Amino acid sequence: MHDRSILLVEDNPDDEALTRRALAKNNIQNEIILARDGAEALDWLFGTGPHTGRPAVPELVLLDLKLPKVDGLEVLRRIRANPNTRLLPVVILTSSREERDVVTGYGLGANSYIRKPVDFGQFVEAVRQLGLYWLVLNEPPPHPDAA
Amino acid sequence: MRMGLSLERRIQVGFGIAVAIIVAVGTAALRSTEATVSSAHWVAHTLQVRAELEATFADLIEAETGVRGYVITGDTTYLGPYQSARRTLSSRLAGLRGLTSDNPAQQRRLDSLETLVATRLERFQWTIDTRRTGGLAAAGRAMIGGRGKELIQQVHEVVTGMEDDEERLLAQRSATLQARARVARLAAWSGALLAIILAVVAGALITRELAGRRRAERTLGETQRRFQQMLASSTAVIYANAVSGATFSPTWVSENVTRITGYGPDEPLQPTWWLDNLHPDDRARVLAEMPALFAHAQLATEYRFRGKDGAYHWVHDEARLLRDAAGKPTEVVGSWVDITDRRRAEVSLRASEERLRLLVGSVRDYAIYMLDPEGHVRSWNVGARQIKGYTESEILGQHFSRFYTPEDVAAEKPAAALRAAVASGRFEEENWRLRKDGSRFWADVVITAVRDDRGALVGFAKVTRDLTERKRAEQALRASEEQLRQYATQLEAANKELEAFSYSVSHDLRAPLRSLDGFSQALLEDYHDRLDDTGRDFLQRVRAASQRMGTLIDDLLSLSRVTRGGLQVTEVNLSALATALAAELQRSDPQRDVRFAIAPDLVARGDPGLMRIVLQNLLGNAWKFTGKRSPARVEVGSMAHDGGRAFFVQDDGAGFDMAHAAKLFGAFQRLHASDEFPGSGIGLATVQRIIHRHGGQVWAEGTPGRGATFYFTL
Repeated sequence: MHDRSILLVEDNPDDEALTRRALAKNNIQNEIILARDGAEALDWLFGTGPHTGRPAVPELVLLDLKLPKVDGLEVLRRIRANPNTRLLPVVILTSSREERDVVTGYGLGANSYIRKPVDFGQFVEAVRQLGLYWLVLNEPPPHPDAA
Repeated sequence: MRMGLSLERRIQVGFGIAVAIIVAVGTAALRSTEATVSSAHWVAHTLQVRAELEATFADLIEAETGVRGYVITGDTTYLGPYQSARRTLSSRLAGLRGLTSDNPAQQRRLDSLETLVATRLERFQWTIDTRRTGGLAAAGRAMIGGRGKELIQQVHEVVTGMEDDEERLLAQRSATLQARARVARLAAWSGALLAIILAVVAGALITRELAGRRRAERTLGETQRRFQQMLASSTAVIYANAVSGATFSPTWVSENVTRITGYGPDEPLQPTWWLDNLHPDDRARVLAEMPALFAHAQLATEYRFRGKDGAYHWVHDEARLLRDAAGKPTEVVGSWVDITDRRRAEVSLRASEERLRLLVGSVRDYAIYMLDPEGHVRSWNVGARQIKGYTESEILGQHFSRFYTPEDVAAEKPAAALRAAVASGRFEEENWRLRKDGSRFWADVVITAVRDDRGALVGFAKVTRDLTERKRAEQALRASEEQLRQYATQLEAANKELEAFSYSVSHDLRAPLRSLDGFSQALLEDYHDRLDDTGRDFLQRVRAASQRMGTLIDDLLSLSRVTRGGLQVTEVNLSALATALAAELQRSDPQRDVRFAIAPDLVARGDPGLMRIVLQNLLGNAWKFTGKRSPARVEVGSMAHDGGRAFFVQDDGAGFDMAHAAKLFGAFQRLHASDEFPGSGIGLATVQRIIHRHGGQVWAEGTPGRGATFYFTL
């Protein structure tokens, strides 16, 4: 069952606020689940730690790379390694345009790689396109638990 | 021969025995014959004696008969027998005396016979005389009384005695003769038999000897033929000279002289042939050597000799003097070999040795010298003098251990080096050595054992190089390599730091800018009413500064990125790349009227990604700085430059003052106000860095208001 939520993995509160604002500006109403670091994100997805038995099944993961505890690329690796989350759309949303991050990200099975622009106008535009594509146009894969 | 006697001796002995036997048999036969003849003589003698005796008796009887007839008849004719008996009887008696002269017994009987005969004859004469004078009767009485009958009887007795004696002698002699004849026959037969045996044995021996001799002759003939062939095919001419005093006269020379010298077989036997053809320059020397031949009985010498064709050949002549029992020189025999080829080889060997000697002598960078088997210096070259400092006269005969350092000498290294060279033929080491002035040098030393044809050690060849400079250079190189390694390590650390820095810049430095810009925008949106124009303007400036800072960070990261990572050099089509970039620029601002002229087939070797950044920057600049011109023109092409090709991007834009050309390629250097032409001042720095990484050059020409041209090579 998709609960149409978006898992936002972001440690920087400013970026969190700006992302929420950009989503709101684009009228994207989906519930936002926030994870402050990689470990928390994995707890949400796999129903572990504080979320034991209650895994979130988001429609989209917006993943920052530079995270405390478990970094973004490692989170992506675990998501792709787990049969339950193997097909989950993951969009890397980060400041870096470092080649190795881009190459590694796609190599681990990221669905998109979007760099957060400094210009907030451009950022709103990017989030608009992202939301349109992944939440409206894109047909999500069936959830493995779906009966 | 088995018995220790030679065949000749045996034959001699055999013949001696045969001759002895023949002489013995002959003597025996002769003696037997003589005895036979003598016996026959004695038979005849006996018969003659008997005949004479009977004739004497008969003469007497006839004389008596005649006398009686006369007496009776008185007829004188009856006296004839008496007359002839008187004549014959004395001669018969004399003959008998001669015949029996060797027999005293018969002589004695003859004496009495003569007396009797004489007496009877006297009686006859008396009777005759009586008849003549006395008549018949007286004569008859004389006859009757005359003892005539008794006398005849006595004569008959004497004659018979003599005859019997002769018969007895005859018988005796015949017996002796027969015995002798038997012996002679036996001797003759056995002699003949022996002679036949000897003849057969001698014949067999001689036949055998002759067969042996024929065999020996055949063998000898073969040997001689072989010897001849050998001589003929030999390269050595054999000769003989008779010696008389000090003069030689050739007596024999082997046939191959013709093949070897070209002269006919008789020419070498001419007395002056040898001396005539001896090279004039060698003549005196060779003749001066002649006394040595007499002194030592042999002589080996070499000289040039003129062949029949007139060409001189080198000849090796070995002569030997033969003497008779008295010690007088009689003959010189010798051999003679053409050694021209060997001489030539020797001459060329000497020449090449000389060349080698000159070569070795003139080598300056290597000390090349010889040691004797004990290690004493035997030769010295210029290089040796140069490197070690000793002159030839100083060092010859000195032991080579003086080139070693005292500690090496104490460790007996010189001897060990020679031992190693002897054992494995060659010894090589690098070590310190001493010069004459006591200074040390780093030497590369090769010692090679030198052996003669039979493998006996004749010494060592030493080649020494002064590697001090190289050693120093090596040490310096090692030091700088070490330094370089340290630099490289430091550089790597710095690079890692830089990478971590730019990674962190890329992530963390932009986040606050986003907040600045984002929240400024939020203020402008959400608090628009509470801000006056000035407040809104300030927030716009905050946003613009944040965005410029973001661009700056991106350009800086891009500049740092081009210095990292490897170059993937392939062939890059610059024409296609420039065309694509021009199209992109035109799409970004379709209002602009910029005419691009891009030469076709511009091909370079470089990293495609970096080439794209270069053209992006250069075309971007051209696009930017022609912003105030319409229509503008941008040309991309290539030209010959410095033996290769240079590419260029030319525009007719704002241009620049060449006085500032040096500043163009520095990071953050700008020649125009940013409000006039925006930019970070990092683009050309990035271009230069990429071109330099490719090993190329980049430069620019410009005139203010007329445009600029950027050139680069790869």
